[in-house]
Amino acid sequence: METITTILTNAFHVLVFPGLLFAAVVGLLLAGLDRKLLARMQRRIGPPLLQPFYDFFKLMGKETIIPHEANRKAFLIAPVLGFVSLIVMMLFIPIFGYSPFSTNADLIVILYLLTIPAVALIVGGSASGSPYAGIGISREMVTMMAYELPLVIVLLTVAKKVGGDELVFSMQKIGDWQAMNGLLISHWSLIPAAIAFLLVIPAEVGTQPFDVAEAETEICEGPLVEYSGAPLAMFKLNTAIKMFVMTALFTFLFLGGIDTGIIALNALIFVAICAVVTVLCMTLIHAITARLKIEHLFKFYWTFVSALAAISLILVWLGL
Amino acid sequence: MFKKIIAKSMAKSPWIYHINTGSCNGCDIELVAVLTPRYDAERFGFKLAGTPRHADIVVVSGPITSQSKERLIRTLEQVPEPKCVVSIGSCPRSCNVFKGSYSVEGPLENYTHVDVSIAGCTPKPEAIIEGLAKAAEILQEKREAMGK
Repeated sequence: METITTILTNAFHVLVFPGLLFAAVVGLLLAGLDRKLLARMQRRIGPPLLQPFYDFFKLMGKETIIPHEANRKAFLIAPVLGFVSLIVMMLFIPIFGYSPFSTNADLIVILYLLTIPAVALIVGGSASGSPYAGIGISREMVTMMAYELPLVIVLLTVAKKVGGDELVFSMQKIGDWQAMNGLLISHWSLIPAAIAFLLVIPAEVGTQPFDVAEAETEICEGPLVEYSGAPLAMFKLNTAIKMFVMTALFTFLFLGGIDTGIIALNALIFVAICAVVTVLCMTLIHAITARLKIEHLFKFYWTFVSALAAISLILVWLGL
Repeated sequence: MFKKIIAKSMAKSPWIYHINTGSCNGCDIELVAVLTPRYDAERFGFKLAGTPRHADIVVVSGPITSQSKERLIRTLEQVPEPKCVVSIGSCPRSCNVFKGSYSVEGPLENYTHVDVSIAGCTPKPEAIIEGLAKAAEILQEKREAMGK
């Protein structure tokens, strides 16, 4: 009897909350909010809030074409690989204290899982055998290297701040620490790290100034150039969920101490904060900037953003 | 239930791919005007796709020249079903003032089935939006026919 209930609760966690269904619905809603607000900022009316849902279902109903030169298996598995890793990541990010799978070093697990959606894009792109995809994946790799460095420094900073003498990579402990000592963002030495993390989010998700890998006007959406139908729908869903996962990670790492005691209310506040972060670091930057060149992107992340993160790391190491 | 949702979404998120088969650029500018803030076709879900693989509606402008004929046919083959072909302006209908030129092969309907044809030289953005909206409805019908 007990095993059945554990299996059922685990299935619920993976499939409904906070796994598949929750992540997909909130992710697509965030993507819709992003598109709608972007349109309003450009003085347009913009698509309805549910537009990403329509896009997803429409792509599901389209024919799936597999190009002749493509490696069939890798071409079809890549989007699923990215999707699964994102769902697993969602299970490790606590929604204000509610975390179904808590371990000692889930921050490191998340750090590794974060690279998989980008790797899936690279695998899918290179399997499709298109020269546009070739350019796209080389750019995607450079983008990955660019944002990974500041991201690791930010996570180290958080681990050091929470751990004191030793590094703590447990999400549970980070949440508990924040509940006791105040939100991490209220400690002034971590504000540069928070800004650096906010700047990492658009590159990780791949929105406007940092979407060099998927530049649809110059290289026809890069790695996605040969995708159509259901696999493309999967990739679009991945981008939407990535939006939610990255903003959720920021929300938990820097504003993680909030706890009202009711799970539903907690989730609501969590999603609301995620929406604000989405607008702040993706929509706003999208509306006021044009696409960067790949070398400028790389330079931006390895100088400005890394410096911000490093300042925080040094301050925290000095005990501030 | 999913079939119904998919068919309904078909009409609500048509992605456009634009081919210029030798147009004078007039119709292309009007098509771009449709997507700008003034007319904002994105409020109906229209989006300019970067590649024919992502497209639902293929918009063709210009008479079919001997250089573009082969490329047009190849591009149309790359678009996944269900798809719609929309012609913009007088040129794809009748070759317009270019008729009789040594390099012009003929109107678009000689090479593919045209679902919606928007007349004018050049058509107004309002007319283009109306034509594209009709094409979106045709997409939904095609999808419903596919499901049966």
